[in-house]
Amino acid sequence: MDHLTDVLTAISHPTRRAIIGQLANGPARFLDVAKPFDTALNAVTKHLKLLERAGLIERRKQGREVFISFRGEPLREVAGWVNEYERFWNKRLDHFERYFEDKKEKKVKEK
Amino acid sequence: MTTTSTKTVEIKVERTIPAPASEVFDAWLDPKIPGTPWHEHDKLIVNPKVDGLWYWLSLGGTSHYGRFIEIDRPGRIQHSWMSRNTLGEESMVTVTFQKKGEGTLMTILHSGLPNDDMAKAHEKGWTSLFGKFGNVFAGGSNR
Repeated sequence: MDHLTDVLTAISHPTRRAIIGQLANGPARFLDVAKPFDTALNAVTKHLKLLERAGLIERRKQGREVFISFRGEPLREVAGWVNEYERFWNKRLDHFERYFEDKKEKKVKEK
Repeated sequence: MTTTSTKTVEIKVERTIPAPASEVFDAWLDPKIPGTPWHEHDKLIVNPKVDGLWYWLSLGGTSHYGRFIEIDRPGRIQHSWMSRNTLGEESMVTVTFQKKGEGTLMTILHSGLPNDDMAKAHEKGWTSLFGKFGNVFAGGSNR
């Protein structure tokens, strides 16, 4: 799967967005990340794995502790994906496709 | 789908059109047909042949220019695309038409679009958005 898909998957779950929101305020330890959620710890671990795969978080060891921090860079890809030109061309193709669908319908009716 | 390098961005959109490739190809170059790039306009000059030029003044009043690089019926059209949004750079639009069942899979690849300012603006947007997320979820509900 491509990286954009990893990023979109990562931000598709409200809990993962909440984790990002939390980490956007600064790095935190695993238990602090997990604290606001009623989910089992291994569910949080799974969420973090998906975020890590997307490159949205980073783990850094500081002494004995591991701090998790947010990395915003992959979100650029998402921003690029909803590029103005993407919307422009998709809109064009919506109209273009509809034109051919209408044409096809007319043909069927005429028969 | 979008891939990014440091300076430019490339976008790709796909759509299956319910008609044979040659029909779809011809329609795409006909500004009278809705959805084609130059359909709605205040002023329009299109010379769809290799090295032919096009000028499109959109309804919003933005001038767009380009030149046709490849016209290979019914498979492929390539032309450049310049406007104030491309910051004076020549971006490239490549449209391919492939048979897919009874229809045609159209792929539009628009490459060489400037990325810098847009990315920065978006980054700001994302940062403040996530700031808000942080506040919303700080209460600790598991949604």
